[in-house]
Amino acid sequence: MSGALTIAKRELSAYFNSPVAYIFIVAFLLSCGTLFFFVGDFFAAGQATMRGYFSLMPFVMSVLVPALTMRLWAEERKQGTYELLLTMPLMDGQLVVGKYLAALAVVAAALALSLPVPLLASMFGRFDSGTIVAEYLGALLMASAASAIGQAVSSASKNQISAFMATVMLLLALSLMSRLTTLLSLPGWLAGLVNWVSLSYHFGSFSRGVIDTRDVAYFCVITVSCLYATARLISAGKWR
Amino acid sequence: MVEVSALVKRYGSFEAVRGVSFSVGSGKVLGLLGPNGAGKTTIMKVLTGYHRPSSGRAVLDGRNVVEDPEGVKASLGYLPEGVPLYLDMTVAEYLDFVAAARGLGGKERRAARKAAIERAVDACGLSGVAGIRLERLSKGFRQRVGLAQAIVHDPAILILDEPTTGLDPNQILEIRSLIRSLGAEKTVILSTHILQEVEALCSEVIILNDGLVVAMGSAEAIGAGLQGDERLECAVKGGFDPVEALTSIRAIPNVLSAEPTQAASGETTRFAVTAGKGRGDDVAEGLFDWAAANGTKLIELKRERLSMEDIFVRLTREEPKR
Repeated sequence: MSGALTIAKRELSAYFNSPVAYIFIVAFLLSCGTLFFFVGDFFAAGQATMRGYFSLMPFVMSVLVPALTMRLWAEERKQGTYELLLTMPLMDGQLVVGKYLAALAVVAAALALSLPVPLLASMFGRFDSGTIVAEYLGALLMASAASAIGQAVSSASKNQISAFMATVMLLLALSLMSRLTTLLSLPGWLAGLVNWVSLSYHFGSFSRGVIDTRDVAYFCVITVSCLYATARLISAGKWR
Repeated sequence: MVEVSALVKRYGSFEAVRGVSFSVGSGKVLGLLGPNGAGKTTIMKVLTGYHRPSSGRAVLDGRNVVEDPEGVKASLGYLPEGVPLYLDMTVAEYLDFVAAARGLGGKERRAARKAAIERAVDACGLSGVAGIRLERLSKGFRQRVGLAQAIVHDPAILILDEPTTGLDPNQILEIRSLIRSLGAEKTVILSTHILQEVEALCSEVIILNDGLVVAMGSAEAIGAGLQGDERLECAVKGGFDPVEALTSIRAIPNVLSAEPTQAASGETTRFAVTAGKGRGDDVAEGLFDWAAANGTKLIELKRERLSMEDIFVRLTREEPKR
């Protein structure tokens, strides 16, 4: 674990030594705020709810999280530090977990900085704090899955831009999939499958304030399997 | 101690290393020498666990690179070709990261880590730039940072891929003396295509060409093995009748031929003498005795040895077959 933390510390310093982390946090807060107050029509709705704030979270994350994860491996490859990293006495898993933790920490920081919105809004009405907790937990879990997916794509890319584009497309596809079930009349089993795979379907319950272990399990499975795939991809590269 | 046997590394259908074996003990500096594409860097990538061998064994301090890659990596320091660095970090931050990743991590080892970083910074002459971001450093300083990160955890084995490329002559001398002092107790493997570097640093040399070892041993031993007939130049005091002198020199055992190299002047006479293969010592002695017997004095005797350049060219001049 200490090896993973060493890597996480180095990655965090890379995020904060460059404008990447600051731009991410500002863009995240701006887009969430815009969605909350304007798209979500907080004032007109007359309801003390954050549902508008969180309903579009899957799309915000689909576009912004890849900006964090695209550099994780593609940049190491480009500047040659990949070789340095892989000749350190760390297991591939430690490298992967360290990088994942760093990316997740930046998203978590952005989420934490968005807390004043519900806190301020709670002055004007009674918020259901349980719903807020569920929504933030869901957002964190989704960030975790998105970071893991983004890292896997980055580990297979030589170029940061292509890693970014591929991750955005993948995450958007996973988010939009659940719309298919409402647009088309799919057979029950297929609709179930499409919904099960969809990020936004699982996030939907959290944004309604429901913490379902199946949804928690979904995000955990995506996270763990993508991290595992990344580690395998890196190991496989040594035999080529 | 590094032992490599029958090492083969293929990249797809391309065989970069085609069955290389060698071993080098501690307190030795081994130089891998060869033209570009000979397989030097590939051997280093396998030794450092970055690439896995296609077949054959590589064992560092008793640990096999395939079976215990983490153990191998923990015992070595590596300076990759081109000195990759995290340019967004300062020298001190970077060395702190590398030391932590190389087994000096955690709060409880903070003091040891600090001491190790200080030692590496001093050894590589980086104390003036510790707080500067790596992207602002010159190539020479970056090279030194690369070397500092390789030695920061005091590894038993050092693997340095072209450690002096891009340095100015003074820096080269500094880095060489640092490597020499490290080589006194560690096992150092370095690659280079600078021939003087091998002569200046390496106790053992492996010359590679086209993925194969073409010569191995000390620089002198490799030279002696390649040496054909040996040429000696001598100068003796006084003028001689060239014909008579040459006849008597040619009578010395093992002398194949003798020619005057310049017209006899009043003071000295110069000859070029060719000795049979491996007979340079005998002929040199014979010339000394000849001078004594003829009542003159030998004032110069120079034996031409094959330089590292000659050796290198002879061993690697064949065009690669692919």
